[in-house]
Amino acid sequence: MEKKLKLQYPPGDLAIWIFILAELLVFAVFFSAYAFTRANHVELFNEFQLTLNSDAALLNTFALLTSSYFVVRAVSAIRENKHQLCARWLWAALAMGALFLVIKSTEYAHHFGMGINLSTNKFYMFYLSLTFFHFMHVILGMVILMAVAFKARAGDYSAEEHDGVETGASYWHMVDLVWLILFPLVYVMR
Amino acid sequence: MKVDTAEKDTTRGTPLIRPCTRVYLILMGLSVVTWGIGKSGLAGLELALLVLAFGLIKGWLVGDYFMGLGRLRGFWRWPILVWLLIPGGLISLAFYLSYPV
Repeated sequence: MEKKLKLQYPPGDLAIWIFILAELLVFAVFFSAYAFTRANHVELFNEFQLTLNSDAALLNTFALLTSSYFVVRAVSAIRENKHQLCARWLWAALAMGALFLVIKSTEYAHHFGMGINLSTNKFYMFYLSLTFFHFMHVILGMVILMAVAFKARAGDYSAEEHDGVETGASYWHMVDLVWLILFPLVYVMR
Repeated sequence: MKVDTAEKDTTRGTPLIRPCTRVYLILMGLSVVTWGIGKSGLAGLELALLVLAFGLIKGWLVGDYFMGLGRLRGFWRWPILVWLLIPGGLISLAFYLSYPV
């Protein structure tokens, strides 16, 4: 019976999934607003999209995908009752998250150094607000993962009881998922 | 009672390469192709939609294999897929409208 229930519900606390769906809805509206605004200002968006650093965006994609992969391995480790290994995978995932923040901050520093801000034009308004909104989610995800990593290291999770790890993992994968649409939409599609 | 969450666990598989590792490599590969299309400077509706399709496929892989939704039945099997399709459809429509007929 318990096994059947596990296959009907997503991993982790159900409350985080309600939160994830709400977050995804907001991002869906944001993405659609970007796309339809672009449709009315194609030349502007195409011109200023070229000023973005797609190499940095690719590195950030690598960082988030690798981080998500490490989180998958952390969940796998705790399912095998290896809580220290789980903590190590989570710290590795956090390092990748930190790398994302460093690269993105460097991009922001470059733009702000050139005097670009939300009022510069419609493209930068969307670029800055959309990526910064995601940036804040990365920070929140890292706080959650850090709390889970400390608890995992302390042995608070086991193969039988590890909802906390799965809850943190689900949120982190959501952060990755959003970036996987944001990256092509803002940096590549023209 | 111990729950057998190992069923269809994507971290298990052949000793050579785990299913989750295979998915991770596919995700990385599709990302490089996406970046390459951007770097090429090529533009066009078809390319834009191709790049978007890669993003949606990557999202589906993350949902099914990393989030573990691929092994679910019922309602919770679908929200991520539906989420991918709704903005995916709207973005496609917006790009379609942005190109002259």
